[in-house]
Amino acid sequence: MAARSPRGSLSGASDIASDFEDSLKDLQRNDRFAIENLTNIARESTEHAQAISRVLENHIKATAPTRKLPALYVLDSIVKNVGTPYTVYLGRGLYSTFMESYGSNNDPTTRRAMDNLLKTWKEPVPGSMDHRPVFPPDVVRPIESALIRWKTGMLQKQNQPQLQPQGGYRSTATPPQYNGQYAVPPVPVQQNAYNAFGSQQTPQQLAGHAVYHTPTPMQQHYAAPPTSVLHAPIDVQVVKADISSLISRLQTQFAAAPYDTQVQTKLSQILDLQRAVDAKPPFGDSLRQVRDIVAALAAGLPPLPAPTPQPHAPVQWQAPTPTPQWQPPASFPLPYQPQTAASYMQPPPAQSQPLPILTPGALSSLQALLANGQKPSTPQMRTAVPALSSASHTQLNNVQNNVAAAPTANTADLLAALAKSGMFPIMSAPNATPSVPFSASVAAPPASSTASLLQSLQSILPPASQNGTPTMIPAQLVASKPRIPFSAAALKQFRPELVRSLYDEQPNQCSNCGRRFLANDEGRAKKARHLDWHFRTNQRMADPNTGRGQHRSWFVDEMEWIRLTEFDPSTTTADAAIAATTAKKQKGPQDQYVRAPAGVTRNTCSICQEEMRSSYSEELQDWVFMNAAMYNGKIAHATCVEEIKKSSLQSASGAMAAALSGAYAGGRRQRSETPDSALGKRKAEGALAGAGARIKMG
Amino acid sequence: MALPGLSLPGLGLQPSATPVYGGAAPPPVEQIARREDLPPQSEWRFEAAFGQQYNIRLLSGQAELFGVELAPKQTYNLSGCKGAIFTWQGCQLEITGDAESEYSAKETEYAVEWLNLHGMLETARDEAQPDGGPRVLVVGPDHAGKSSLVRSVAAWAVKAGRTPTVVNLDPREGMLAPPGSLTAAAVASQLDVENGYGIPPISGPTVTPIQTPLIYSYPYASSSEKPAVYKALLTRMALSVTNKLEEDATAKQSGIIIDTPGSLNDPKSNYDILNHIVSEFNINLILSIGSEKLLNDLTRRFSMGKAPGESVPVLRISRPGGTVERDAVYMKQLRMSQLRQYFFGNAKEPLNPHSHSINFGELGIYRAKSSSDASNTSTGFGADDDDYTPNFGTTGSDGDFEKVTPSAAMTGSLIAIKFCPASSDGDAVRDSAVMGFLYVAEVDEARKKMRFLAPHPQRWGDRALVWGSWPEVVADLLT
Ligand SMILES: [Zn+2]
Ligand SMILES: [Zn+2]
Repeated sequence: MAARSPRGSLSGASDIASDFEDSLKDLQRNDRFAIENLTNIARESTEHAQAISRVLENHIKATAPTRKLPALYVLDSIVKNVGTPYTVYLGRGLYSTFMESYGSNNDPTTRRAMDNLLKTWKEPVPGSMDHRPVFPPDVVRPIESALIRWKTGMLQKQNQPQLQPQGGYRSTATPPQYNGQYAVPPVPVQQNAYNAFGSQQTPQQLAGHAVYHTPTPMQQHYAAPPTSVLHAPIDVQVVKADISSLISRLQTQFAAAPYDTQVQTKLSQILDLQRAVDAKPPFGDSLRQVRDIVAALAAGLPPLPAPTPQPHAPVQWQAPTPTPQWQPPASFPLPYQPQTAASYMQPPPAQSQPLPILTPGALSSLQALLANGQKPSTPQMRTAVPALSSASHTQLNNVQNNVAAAPTANTADLLAALAKSGMFPIMSAPNATPSVPFSASVAAPPASSTASLLQSLQSILPPASQNGTPTMIPAQLVASKPRIPFSAAALKQFRPELVRSLYDEQPNQCSNCGRRFLANDEGRAKKARHLDWHFRTNQRMADPNTGRGQHRSWFVDEMEWIRLTEFDPSTTTADAAIAATTAKKQKGPQDQYVRAPAGVTRNTCSICQEEMRSSYSEELQDWVFMNAAMYNGKIAHATCVEEIKKSSLQSASGAMAAALSGAYAGGRRQRSETPDSALGKRKAEGALAGAGARIKMG
Repeated sequence: MALPGLSLPGLGLQPSATPVYGGAAPPPVEQIARREDLPPQSEWRFEAAFGQQYNIRLLSGQAELFGVELAPKQTYNLSGCKGAIFTWQGCQLEITGDAESEYSAKETEYAVEWLNLHGMLETARDEAQPDGGPRVLVVGPDHAGKSSLVRSVAAWAVKAGRTPTVVNLDPREGMLAPPGSLTAAAVASQLDVENGYGIPPISGPTVTPIQTPLIYSYPYASSSEKPAVYKALLTRMALSVTNKLEEDATAKQSGIIIDTPGSLNDPKSNYDILNHIVSEFNINLILSIGSEKLLNDLTRRFSMGKAPGESVPVLRISRPGGTVERDAVYMKQLRMSQLRQYFFGNAKEPLNPHSHSINFGELGIYRAKSSSDASNTSTGFGADDDDYTPNFGTTGSDGDFEKVTPSAAMTGSLIAIKFCPASSDGDAVRDSAVMGFLYVAEVDEARKKMRFLAPHPQRWGDRALVWGSWPEVVADLLT
């Protein structure tokens, strides 16, 4: 192997790949035999995985819409049955591959099939010893959030004509809040890791390491289910948060079942309710009513269906009965059925029994675990909910069933009363918003009564545990905060509590830089890290190596800046910092590095023979050669190595750029009245955004 | 040759192992330290010239500069700074060096207002709607204290654990970049007493906090010179900022604070650009400093008689008593200092720029036309109009950017490297973000070679370069 020239291996790859491509082009429909055959080619040619992956990606993008789904099934079959290295190569471009296919298909059945496919990629391969998901979360999650945002955006757009008043400056150009299909840039599998550490570990292992540290900002902020607010003092903010939580859960549901017009209706109605409350915060009895409704709804939410549900699959590819995957080939084409965990699980229990009395804590733990697909009888469940640890299997199953049910009786009445009470006059008031809060919206099927709305809500809302509203109040500094509205009058009076919040309430001060920390454990831990950071920094600044010519870095491009998660390096652990910076970054070859061996500050690129110099990496806190990779045991420019490998990265990043330009174009359409707008211009620029991966060495 | 009178903030105090380019400070004069006791809610106002040593140390109590708290017993070098050390609780300062003016003042009602504003923004963040936290536009004439206000509320927000996105739309004074830039940065690390928002990333370790900005180039001194270009860039920046906030829940909740040049206070254009900003950034709070007319006009336009969902509150914010006119000489020194910092760093983090000599043929340079030649492309550029040959490549002649061949007129100019390729069309060149800046050290027309001072040892590849009239030519950056 080592003796073979890279060119040689490329030509070998191109033969195999073109065979693969030919077979792929023959795939016109969901033909399990053909898909299995293609999978076998891929399995037997892992040394050409990169070329095959590229052929497959290109085919999925280029082929007719009706053939995209079968081709995606080929991808699915390969990653599930062969795995590494295909997961790595296909993971890189998965965002654009998937989003383009999704976007080019208007057929609801096909899209639903794609949705289901995506869900299975978040799970381990059923029955596999490997418990990692098919694709790492940071490959799948951007796709999911893009889909959710896109679908939400579609829904909101449907509502917009009603809500946006005419004329005025504000309506000329509103920046997109959910601006289009491809707003989330893809987060490809991190590449530098395995290049940096050599080839002992498989790419997927390393990618996996990086992946599991990925911060998930949305989830960090999710509130606990608002089940316990029933007897709390009424706070309009809490009610608002609960409404947001409902919306958020409905959005998730909507993402899962985008063609369910009922979900759309409910979501738009809840959005109306939210707007009403926002526009004129209710008080007194109205507030109590809203709160009760929201609380009752929230408490009555059924659990999510099992995370990889038996797909409500289009008829064309679903086998009539759940079967073990990979049946022996039949003499006629059989549809391919993606493997899902559901094949190994019980269907979700019926949701019809009355709600048992559970403490809120137990309930939310249960919901959380159910949302994670835990059976109540699993050890994890028993550990997590100690109260249930001695329960029998049957009891646990009953509990699980019961969690699903909701108290319905008086919520419907409350909601109806509320709608009649005229507590939302604002909805039809000055800004000409015509809609009555609970009238059916544009996309709605037959207008639904409030009672049926409630029932629908109960049947569609997943549990509160995972998808609640972002907690808008940071953990610290909550206690003494004054509430100050936007008003001129509020500016004048001196509020010592504001000074205290910036000084006394953060009594733990760094004597080097004056930075303050809270007096709790978190604050102390942060301060310890911070002092450690000062120490390390001072040490490094004193290092004679440091003086030898630092330089200004290039500024980042838009894509990188958008994806960058800002953090304070002085209080962040190195692991978290690296995860934050690298996980969201598209790694081009110039971002790869090799740690400089001790004492080695210069190296000659083994490919282009130009000199390379080491530089200091703040992230790694070590001297490294940037834009470097190991090539035949020597350090070379990563860009040179990439050139030789003729990587698929180029096309992947081009596709990503196209995706970005799609987002820009989408945003553009929404504000077409903006002067100087030119849709095509954006595209031209967007296509360049990915060019960062191709910087030539000077 | 050293540059007298042009030392940078923080420069020249600590002897550095690496010679700092242009860092020649006046020979250290033995200064007598003096002490100043400030009662609660008072401030120490000072104007320290560039090149003048001026140090402040907090001996006791607590104090802040533009919202950034001073660490006890640390010496801060405030050369080239005009500002006020404010104390809520009272403090004792030790002051060394000479300032053009310095005095203590108790008329600090503005500080109470500003802090209340911080409290308001915190409330808005706590109660943030799904579309995000407070998005604040700060407007007013020049020298009214807008930048000080923005920096203060940003510093307090960071202290409260937020990540506000700060946007600078004043091309005369760069933020984390040389002049001629428009900047957006999500600020997560505590601000720095001497360096404000910190410094943009460098290759080595730093003591000063690092901020990663997104930079656009607007190579004109005033928004009114090319309003169409300015607005296009605002649109582009708003798109990037909006996308970023969608990616980062903390930043989205923390909101946006936008600093603007006084030129936007322009009733003749019917406040066209302000309207544009309000809609592009979806502004939900406008702060007006220092102009009653502007306040009234904006209140009428955005606030009065509007439906609740449509109304944008406009608040009058007091200008700080200590604001001083920053005259043309000072502003030029400030720009020079920013330019030099970009290439050479500061005393704590000195940088080595790199020289690149490149053939004309390998360069794709666009000239950002000045307003005077917008209608007539054959008109030259400044005093050197005979020195360049317009080369209408891919750009239409009526565009704002035209491809030109290098000429001696470019010597001493700042050139922006855009992320877009050299072959891009005019709008792409206009909208593309900035990868870095080059200083034109030399143009050899005979040998058809150009020598640049670049921040980075690597070449920048096949990218569009933009040459504009702003910032002004600096003849002596290298000498
Ligand atoms: Zn510190
Ligand atoms: Zn090389």
